[in-house]
Amino acid sequence: MCGLLGKSANGTANAMLATKRTISLRQRFVTRVSVVKNSVPVVCLFLCLIFPALSHASRDIPADPFESVMWKLMVERHFPGGEVVFDSRVKVSAPKSAENQFHVPITVDATELSDVEEIVAVADLNPIAHILTVRPKKSLSFVGFRVKLQQATPIHVGVRTSDGVWHMGGAYIDAAGGGCTAPAMAHGMNNWMKTLGKTRASTRRESPLSARMTIRMRHPMDTGLAAGIPAFFMNQITVQDAAGETVAELDLYEPVSENPTITIKPKVGQVEETLSVLARDTEGNEFGFPLTVPAVAAQ
Amino acid sequence: MQRKIWLALASSLSVGAVAFAGSANADVGIADIMGDQSTTEDIVSYGLGPRAQRYSPLATIDKSNIKNLFPVWSFSFGGEKQRGQESQPLIKDGVMYVTGSYSRMWAIDIATGEELWQYDARLPEGILPCCDVVNRGAAILGDKVFFGTLDAKIVALDKDTGKVVWRKTIGDYEAGYSYTAAPLIVPTEKHGPLILTGNSGGEFGVIGEVQARNPETGEMVWSRPTIEGNMGTLMGAESTMTGTKNESWPGDMWKNGGGATWLGGTYDPDTKLAYFGTGNPAPWNSYLRAGDNKWTSARIAIDPEDGEIKWGYQTTPHDGWDYDGVNEFIPFDMEKDGKMVKAGASADRNGFFYILDRTNGEFISASPFVQNITWAKGIDENGKPIFDPDNRPGNPAESADGKKGKSVFAIPSFLGGKNWMPMAYSQSTKHFYIPSNEWGMDIWNEPVTYKKGAAYLGSGFTIKPIFDDYIGSLKAIDPATGDIKWEYKNKAPLWGGVLTTAGGLVFTGTPEGYLKAFDDETGEELWKFQTGTGIVSSPITWEQDGEQYVAIVTGWGGAVPLWGGEVAKVVSYLNQGGSVWVFKVPEQLAAR
Repeated sequence: MCGLLGKSANGTANAMLATKRTISLRQRFVTRVSVVKNSVPVVCLFLCLIFPALSHASRDIPADPFESVMWKLMVERHFPGGEVVFDSRVKVSAPKSAENQFHVPITVDATELSDVEEIVAVADLNPIAHILTVRPKKSLSFVGFRVKLQQATPIHVGVRTSDGVWHMGGAYIDAAGGGCTAPAMAHGMNNWMKTLGKTRASTRRESPLSARMTIRMRHPMDTGLAAGIPAFFMNQITVQDAAGETVAELDLYEPVSENPTITIKPKVGQVEETLSVLARDTEGNEFGFPLTVPAVAAQ
Repeated sequence: MQRKIWLALASSLSVGAVAFAGSANADVGIADIMGDQSTTEDIVSYGLGPRAQRYSPLATIDKSNIKNLFPVWSFSFGGEKQRGQESQPLIKDGVMYVTGSYSRMWAIDIATGEELWQYDARLPEGILPCCDVVNRGAAILGDKVFFGTLDAKIVALDKDTGKVVWRKTIGDYEAGYSYTAAPLIVPTEKHGPLILTGNSGGEFGVIGEVQARNPETGEMVWSRPTIEGNMGTLMGAESTMTGTKNESWPGDMWKNGGGATWLGGTYDPDTKLAYFGTGNPAPWNSYLRAGDNKWTSARIAIDPEDGEIKWGYQTTPHDGWDYDGVNEFIPFDMEKDGKMVKAGASADRNGFFYILDRTNGEFISASPFVQNITWAKGIDENGKPIFDPDNRPGNPAESADGKKGKSVFAIPSFLGGKNWMPMAYSQSTKHFYIPSNEWGMDIWNEPVTYKKGAAYLGSGFTIKPIFDDYIGSLKAIDPATGDIKWEYKNKAPLWGGVLTTAGGLVFTGTPEGYLKAFDDETGEELWKFQTGTGIVSSPITWEQDGEQYVAIVTGWGGAVPLWGGEVAKVVSYLNQGGSVWVFKVPEQLAAR
């Protein structure tokens, strides 16, 4: 750990936060975390000499405002490495009670954070917890999606910034049971495979510098937990701009609802721009289509 | 709920183990595949080497200590999908890669018998496998394992994680195409290693074809249809026509002519040719397709560089009995009359054991390996069958109402003197060990027209045993003379492959559930183990940490219970299973 601290910027940030945490440990939400990079060597020296045992100790994990019984396991598995802090800038919108446990809409808005590298969403009490991971490259730190819930559960969303810190937000959703273990609606039709990947999509401009893009692709998103139906789901979506640069990468997992409906907010210029969406499922089927963002309307 | 969480945790731990194992595992090279027969610590091809002789030079387990062979572990294929396990596992760096019915594959840690990963193909509704939901095995190259699925796709998986790398379509499953054979990996000078696949669906009027792909990307390099009149492709463009249109087919019948390459192929590093068997012509009613119907019920030798057919040899030209001659062609060097011949052997569905010159397909000899063959009086000196016109089912057009032709009793039955189950060739005894069946059938013809996705037979049939006490017959045959050296009789039909070793042993499984070992010179049964369900797969043997292992996949199923007629009674009591059994001689007994 100490060796690592000397090498990596992420590590140094972690060390700083470790000292800070002793003060804020009992706080449920840390509203502001500042990182002072030039004090790194001193911190390292201090930690290495005085607390060699601590260097291998696990991270201190703040208490969970949603009091999830799975919280520590979720952090270990899905939010590894850096410091974990609850942060009110990670806004998770979800219904208090799910109208339909197969399609529960969740929106994550972390646009107030900068240097976001990764957004990871989990449903703690789902048999498969990991819902999705988004890496916004040329897009705002925002994602909307729908999820299947097996029972009432806390949702945790970790937003990792480039300093390695996991900024956490979440919600608690009450739900009727069975969202993950029932067969997909598609299987009521015997030709469902024919429509695999068929897409409805829309883009509109939200600001001179960003757009809102929603795509809905036909896919059963089988979890493998319904009797006799193996796991089969859309697991990768990549959005690129006209120059081939990545706008956003999404890794989807089993809990994402049938016919995945995803909203992201690409950063764009003021002129018309055509983005391309490439999706792939666990069977290697690939789907791709272009989406055009209109130019800023003339005043 | 709690249980599921722990299951999830356990699986995430095992994924970690795979990643660790993966970093230590070497990739499989084409040289490893070509030399597979002599490297006993791995099995990286279907048939223990590209020639598929199913011979292992291992002799640690021999006639004297086979009695000490005991199971190490058994691994269940689980769930409700137990039936029809015809697979041969692959072994690499202490990991077993084994496919199962319903297009599934597992990676298993051989040291512990624990699962490393499982892949379940998501099959569409409406697949049309004619003859059960089987799969016969995988291929391995580089960091990938490959296998075919019942919806006629080929899938490449990361061998360390089981994740799909690519997946390509071999044929349209709605038209009856499927795929059950193990793919064949061959070297080429122009394209590097290629992965070759056949197809299934002869009962639905598909066109048999061999396709060659780049194993890295799955892109097609060439394709070669087996039925004359159809065009091949090379590098995305049409190449050459197979044969000459209408030379041996009337009218448009070649467009749905069958000739499925459903058992895969073998490769001979010596001649640099890939050998594929081709299946029955479609429809079964032979009066609808006058002529030899090339290349159905044949062996073809393909140049892997461009997909051109170098030679073809029909075992049953103008087949009228579903003598679906896909049977494997095993290259071997034969000493005959003091000369060494570059030969190849094939035990055909039609009951004759053929020896051909593998360099040019010239006929050397044919001898019956089952009894009382009726459809032909013999094979002439040119390798052509001497048909018995009385024993070809009659033309329905000549019957009073035109609906059913004269029925005949023919031997062997359409399930064949030998079906898919591969024979073995011992380099020690120079004998072939053929899993065969003694049975016949009543067969008659009916009118039929082609309809996409519907059975295209124009025949009715029922299979009957010809002896009271047995159907299955494992035979040792001397290829130089055609003499049968010994025979083991089994009550139920044999439906599993054979393995032979330098330890003087011949292994095969029975539908009654036994894995058995025989003396390769006398046929004496030396050992057996009851696995609890019928065996219809091919055994393997390899060496790990200085010990010799034997493995067999078990799980009753295949074509017999579906198509067996009267014979089905003999096997109707057999229970389904679905697992792999691994055996070795325990350390404390090894010295004895």
